[in-house]
Amino acid sequence: MTMVGIFILFLLVFFGLRSFEAGTETLQGSIVGFAMWIFAVMAYSEMSWGLLQEARDGTLEQLYLTPSTFRRISAYRVFGSFIFQFILFITFLGIMMVVTGEYLSLNPGVIILISLTLLSVYGLGYIMGGLSLVFKKVQAGNQILQFLFILLLVLPTITDHQIIYFVPISWGNLMINRMMIDGLSLLDFTLFEYLILFANSFAYLIVGLFIFSLMEKAAKKRGLLGHY
Amino acid sequence: MKALDEGEKGAGKALTVKDLEKTYPQWRKEPTKAVDGISFSVDEGEIVGFLGPNGAGKTTTIKCICGLVEPTKGDIEIYGIDVVNDTRKAVSNTSAVLEGNRNIYWRLTTRENLEFFARLHGRSLKEAEPEIKDLLKRFDLQDREDMPARKLSRGMQQKLALSCALIRGTDFLLLDEPTLGLDVKTSKEMRAFVKQLTSNGGKTILLSSHDMNVVEDVCERVIIMNEGKILANDSVNNLKDIFNVHLYDFILKGEPKLSELKNKYEITDIHYENGKTKLRVSLKNSDSFYELVNHLQNKNVELEEVKNLDKNMEEIFMDVIERKGVIN
Repeated sequence: MTMVGIFILFLLVFFGLRSFEAGTETLQGSIVGFAMWIFAVMAYSEMSWGLLQEARDGTLEQLYLTPSTFRRISAYRVFGSFIFQFILFITFLGIMMVVTGEYLSLNPGVIILISLTLLSVYGLGYIMGGLSLVFKKVQAGNQILQFLFILLLVLPTITDHQIIYFVPISWGNLMINRMMIDGLSLLDFTLFEYLILFANSFAYLIVGLFIFSLMEKAAKKRGLLGHY
Repeated sequence: MKALDEGEKGAGKALTVKDLEKTYPQWRKEPTKAVDGISFSVDEGEIVGFLGPNGAGKTTTIKCICGLVEPTKGDIEIYGIDVVNDTRKAVSNTSAVLEGNRNIYWRLTTRENLEFFARLHGRSLKEAEPEIKDLLKRFDLQDREDMPARKLSRGMQQKLALSCALIRGTDFLLLDEPTLGLDVKTSKEMRAFVKQLTSNGGKTILLSSHDMNVVEDVCERVIIMNEGKILANDSVNNLKDIFNVHLYDFILKGEPKLSELKNKYEITDIHYENGKTKLRVSLKNSDSFYELVNHLQNKNVELEEVKNLDKNMEEIFMDVIERKGVIN
């Protein structure tokens, strides 16, 4: 039902832009942007909302009672959900292209760019998930962050300021746009562009894992793990 | 309370808890002491009941044992492995059912839950399959193996939660309120099964429950906690001996002479009714009961009925809590 609502919202935005005689690049950009937003929200929710759900259901504690570590288990979970969400992303993208009649270049290399871009989103998910283990009210910020993703995704179209190197998903989304709209391949990007993408994504992921680890310790100290 | 000797540590012990203390820090408030320097151990193959009113510190202790709560002080070892410093290794041989019917994935089916938890503990599905089939059969879940857990009744969900803990194949089990909210029949089944786990399955179990009947029926030993301290740590029978005055009502035919009996036993009440004598006798121990019956027989007194007025586990529990002192 949510997906249907999002799809209707997309159609309103797309045909609204078309009625204002927006260029092909803007129209195609709205398709990529919408699909990426859905993918990012799903990936982020998997970590933050998924963790809260586990805490509520009492299964989170069970995940700590294993010979493995929780971080390893959540990494498997992220990998599994990424595959599932990627299939949804491609399906959604296909439907959007057929309905709008705007066809994008689907270079298989895009999966690499998407994977790298989403690492920063998973990092944010770990930060929010970790914080919500200790500060239960943080979950209210989840919805705000979902809308913040829209701003981050459109940021490269608003400004070419260096800020897009530092904030999550903006730079990656710009590279994905150039591949899908301008038809670039992985070899067309410079080493510097890849360096920014790697540094940005891994920095958010590492910070996310570090904060999650701190919050996990605090939750164990305060007896909050699994409490909701 | 039985203190642990150094020599006892790890020798045939599934669990050793020594001087465990847990104080929860509070934001702008005084810290709360939930567990106040407790020590106890659980032998391999033993089933121990953990009793206490709400807020006694039972759940905190259980969560410290699982490594889910970090102790402020003290040592916890599971099969000789330190829980605080080597949590992962220590809990690798431990599974827990915390708070009844939680602990399972409501969107997964019965079978998927079992398969998931087997894999979570590193077991292959091929290896776990015979046990999955056995647990489904044993807990009457066969017809519901493809049903999402959320659609099962509460009793079924609790059975599934216990099955999911068992499919991990660990030797040490922590059960927090395993029969909470179950109907009489299911509770009985669950109790019988838990007993079987130690007698046939070689498992070691620490079981917390508010239901005294469960503890009395299932456990060999009971640890009673209140306000973070252990008040009693003894076998169910010993506790009964400590708290029971072995009170009996004897109904005798006729009105026999009781002077000798009065000198020998503590008779708290005598009254005569419809040609019968009713005696309330307080005995020192259960052996005295047989002595008294023999005495009556030797005196040719016809015994019509005997009623045991012993306290049940619930009354003993209340006595321990009200005493507030450690029971030796």
